[in-house]
Amino acid sequence: MADTTVGIPTVSVTVNGVLRRGTPEPRKTLADFLRDDCELTGTHLGCEHGVCGACTIFMDGEAVRSCLVFAVQAEGADITTIEGLSAPDGTLSVVQKAMNEAHGLQCGFCTPGFVVSITALLRDNPDPSDEEIRQGLSGNLCRCTGYQGIIKAVKIAAGQSVDANGKAH
Amino acid sequence: MKPAPFQYHAANSAADAAQLLGDLGDDAKLISGGQSLAPMLAMRLVRFDHLVDISRVADLRGIDRNNGTLIVQAATPDVLVERSDVVVASVPLLTKVTPLIGHFQIRNRGTIGGSIAHADPAAEYPAVAVALGAQMECLSVRGTRMIDAADYFVGIWSTSMESDELLKAIHFPVWSGRVGFGVAEFARRHGDFAIAGAVAAVELDSGNVISRCSIAMFGVSGQPERALSAESHLLGSSVGEISPEEVGRLAIADVESPSDDANMPATYRMSVAASTVATAWTNALTEAHHG
Amino acid sequence: MTDTLAAPTANTGGARFVGQRVQRREDLRLVTGHGRYTDDVVVPGMLHAAFLRSDIARGVINSIDVSAARQLDGVVAVFTGADFNAEIREHWVDFEGPGGDASPFRVLADTDVRFAGDPIAVVIATSRYIAEDACELIEVDIEPSTPVIGADAALAADAPVVHAGRADNIAGAIPAAADPVLDEIFANAAHVITETIDQNRYLCVPMETRGIVSQWDPFNQELTVHISTQGPHGVRAYIGRALGIPENRIRVIMKDVGGGFGQKMFMIPDEVAVVLAGKRLGRPVKWIEDRRENLMSGLHARDDRMTVSFAVDDTFHILGVKCDLIEDVGSFNAAGSSSIGFVGLLFPGPYKIPRVGFSAKAVFTNTCGRCSYRGPWMMETAAREQMMDIAARRLGIDPLEFRRINVITSAELPYTTAAGLVYDAVSIDGSLEQAVSMVGYEAFRAEQAAARAQGRFIGLGLGLYVEPSGIAMGNMSSEAAIVSISVNGDVTAVMSSGSHGQSLETTVAQVVADRLGVDFERVTVVQGDTAATPFGPGTGGSRSAVILNGAASQASGDVRTKMLEIAAHVLEAATDDLELEAGNISVRGTPSKGISVTEVARIAYLRPQELPPGMSLGLESHARYTPNAPFTFSNSCHACVVEVDAVTGGVKVLRFIVSEDCGVMINPDVVEGQIAGGVVQGIGGVLYEEMAYDMSGNPMNTTFVDYLLPTATEVPIIEYGHIETRSSTNPGGFKGMGEGGAIGSPPAVINAVADASPTSSTGRSSSRCRRRTSAPPSTLLADPAE
Repeated sequence: MADTTVGIPTVSVTVNGVLRRGTPEPRKTLADFLRDDCELTGTHLGCEHGVCGACTIFMDGEAVRSCLVFAVQAEGADITTIEGLSAPDGTLSVVQKAMNEAHGLQCGFCTPGFVVSITALLRDNPDPSDEEIRQGLSGNLCRCTGYQGIIKAVKIAAGQSVDANGKAH
Repeated sequence: MKPAPFQYHAANSAADAAQLLGDLGDDAKLISGGQSLAPMLAMRLVRFDHLVDISRVADLRGIDRNNGTLIVQAATPDVLVERSDVVVASVPLLTKVTPLIGHFQIRNRGTIGGSIAHADPAAEYPAVAVALGAQMECLSVRGTRMIDAADYFVGIWSTSMESDELLKAIHFPVWSGRVGFGVAEFARRHGDFAIAGAVAAVELDSGNVISRCSIAMFGVSGQPERALSAESHLLGSSVGEISPEEVGRLAIADVESPSDDANMPATYRMSVAASTVATAWTNALTEAHHG
Repeated sequence: MTDTLAAPTANTGGARFVGQRVQRREDLRLVTGHGRYTDDVVVPGMLHAAFLRSDIARGVINSIDVSAARQLDGVVAVFTGADFNAEIREHWVDFEGPGGDASPFRVLADTDVRFAGDPIAVVIATSRYIAEDACELIEVDIEPSTPVIGADAALAADAPVVHAGRADNIAGAIPAAADPVLDEIFANAAHVITETIDQNRYLCVPMETRGIVSQWDPFNQELTVHISTQGPHGVRAYIGRALGIPENRIRVIMKDVGGGFGQKMFMIPDEVAVVLAGKRLGRPVKWIEDRRENLMSGLHARDDRMTVSFAVDDTFHILGVKCDLIEDVGSFNAAGSSSIGFVGLLFPGPYKIPRVGFSAKAVFTNTCGRCSYRGPWMMETAAREQMMDIAARRLGIDPLEFRRINVITSAELPYTTAAGLVYDAVSIDGSLEQAVSMVGYEAFRAEQAAARAQGRFIGLGLGLYVEPSGIAMGNMSSEAAIVSISVNGDVTAVMSSGSHGQSLETTVAQVVADRLGVDFERVTVVQGDTAATPFGPGTGGSRSAVILNGAASQASGDVRTKMLEIAAHVLEAATDDLELEAGNISVRGTPSKGISVTEVARIAYLRPQELPPGMSLGLESHARYTPNAPFTFSNSCHACVVEVDAVTGGVKVLRFIVSEDCGVMINPDVVEGQIAGGVVQGIGGVLYEEMAYDMSGNPMNTTFVDYLLPTATEVPIIEYGHIETRSSTNPGGFKGMGEGGAIGSPPAVINAVADASPTSSTGRSSSRCRRRTSAPPSTLLADPAE
């Protein structure tokens, strides 16, 4: 029989390895749930309509825009946010380290979404071509860097050698 | 930019979802990946009292080959279509168009049924359905019916499904033999909805005569457009007898009401469409030759 | 590629860090999601604001009924203009000063609405969701009337006035001055070329929208404001005047800021409404502008039209120029956003143009107001550089040749422009030649001809300019630094300005570390809190490298001097004989005789008896710095190569080269990052971005689905060439360059597209390409006159 629960369903999600329970309003986005209820503010809201990519997270292993998922839809999901990608002592992931090395960020607002997307991109395609890198980044907007340092960071994280202009050798 | 309130119903099965739609009536809307619906809700361009969530319904996910038909359940995420060995072996045109849909984060969550039922005229999956003559399996408390793709898309964001029906699965005919498929589109940026695009399918006989073909355009009007007169010219002709540019010209001649607005005049959009038809057709022919 | 034309260092301490690609220290928190942007600020009891905005561009408000909204569960208050507008005591920003021709202002629309997006009411509720629900319950009755859309409509004889009470729609004007000499030049010139150039409206679009959390503490009579801004001190001073709160009872905190680009220089009425609401309620209130608001009502930019005439002699030397500019500044434009004065001042730019006539009007329209977007005066370069190509083609010579004939060469320095600006430490012809060498100009022309023969259309465009960085005028004349070495030898630099992406936490630390002879890691930079930092005007005018680092350098120099005096006393040596490096002071030639910076610091604070007689305790200095010139000129040349698809009109940027001379580079990564960001904003403005209005005044591009920012697939690898000509305006020899990328790139892209056009070689130039980016890209190639 259908679950015709009217009112507030309970949501249980695993976020960065920790089980979180809550009773968000059905209309509350997963992004807002993570930011407000889980106090994980590294997931940023740059547009709230699924274009900028700043709110990208891992949901059940795939990178998705958390502003386009309602928290109630994440029942039972395994979620990793930007806060879950570095070690608790601050040790950076390979991608995070590469972003720093490559001057891949300036204001940093878009950065968490890029880090998640790049992490997913390189997991699925460890040695991407230049075109694959650009297409893989095209779902995230940055207004500061002109993408130059970000593209270079992907190459560094992939172990490709780069020159000062980010060209692979 | 926050959505208006709604009541949430997580369906347990396709039948359950159909029951909910039947019970809740016009105030209910299905949501699966939400990649089109969630932004419209956030901007309060649409509102529903009830959302029926089918994103975790097991019997609405999956891809199966049944003899000459590929059956894709509606709530199957695009990414699974993109990565599926069965799909590439059965309906490779789906494999070709999927990477053109948005960005990979969109494809991870967006579903093939969502794209088809949303019926955006510039979307790729509806054009593939129309080109290949797919059958839409629609479910309601009244039962199941099949709608031919040619009858399914009736206008911008509009289908011939009743409000209590849900798209259960899409049945794509499998083309075999010396077949080839092509897609081409022009968008302002990578991942944007296309200004115009085309998909093409062709089957050649052993003498390089076109024994079967289909071309559909997207982005050019309120719904995917099948280029029937171009196809009839091509059918029975030899490869190369009709130039790709001529195929493009013939294809756009079939578009009765091309989209036309101040920013994008119909003449421009049609010339882009003709060019994408030519490219898609060329790619399909090349693949049929070498495939 | 780097050409060094001057000594890289001076007697400012060592150069261990300045000039190096030091990795940013901001990054650790930002790449891990632990930055603190305004929306991350949560205060107990915090309420949330949402605005009801007009969807009508122009009309009289007959009534506003907020009763239903007030009754919604979770709504705490609803305020309208009637509640707030009379509360504002003084409305002026430091940049403009009191009186004068201050921009029209009101907190909320009361009698009428003046653009689509105009805020009418603000709802304060327990959540943003509920606040938005309540906005839908407010009933507003507006009697619409025909809006003023576009500069032509604003200037029409029977135009309605945008702002009631004004005689017309003129926001500012520079009348054409009678100039018989210039008239004579034009009358006798061998060639006169005239063209009108339009620039579309496009926007800053920082990835973080505006945001504010305002907390009024009625029991301490204190206001604390977290805000996404380019300058917390300006916010504090403004609120103090507007609300009559003593400045020293206001604390403005700017933590991490997700970009500004000029949009966040000043508060907008919406933010003032949030402060007023919080004060009225005695509760903290947060407002985070959503993206649609940011695009619709968060302030716009560009939108100019300029008619330019060149008088040119037989040998292709420009003899004189006449320009007439019209700016559309929208309705409620930000202070200083009209750039008509600067455009006229800077128009001659990199060329020897002996005489310039300039006139301009800035006009109000029923559209969102204008702000000062990265290089707000850049229409001078956008128009001039397009004219250089147009004129060259009409004259039958190559655009590069025309530039070479007219460019100001290094041999001619110092050079005084027709407007009276003096260039000294620039390398204008050097950057032009470096860019054309990097792009391979001659080889490209051959490649272009070969491509045309194959039906492919490729083109090359240049954009050459001089950037007036480090603007030091009025409230922008100074920056300050408080540099101290504390008892454990660690250095703190408390700065008057802060970063919203410019990497100042890193670059200031580089400068201070070198000046003090300590390791970079020992320097911490404090910024963005009026309770801790000295007054500064906020970022703008590419000022931080020059002026903020000037202050850092000056304060550090004071501390260095004192440190050396203490060491000299302890070591019984002359200060001139001491060396300070890597945290140690030693006697030159006797390395064993030395003292650490830490030890000097401990003497300075803990062991006063060891100080030289009469010396004050401590190792700290508070310095306020002003450069010795109002402008520090940097220069640059952009070269862009594109391919245009003949069918779709799609433009692919194949190469983009920037030759930049920003003096001594503090950190080449930061320099290149600034260039790249600006260039891509320019590429976006030409090829993808446009904020268009329909004739009813509806904004057409209010989401990221229709306001198209370039993504990683739309931009090429940007190639950099560096020339380092030391500036003489500041101790470090630095020049600013934060805006230049966005100044030079638009004309370079447009010129390249025009150059790719099949008709460009025929002389009747298609470089008059219309920059209507919402139109099909192919119309970029269409000359409306043909």
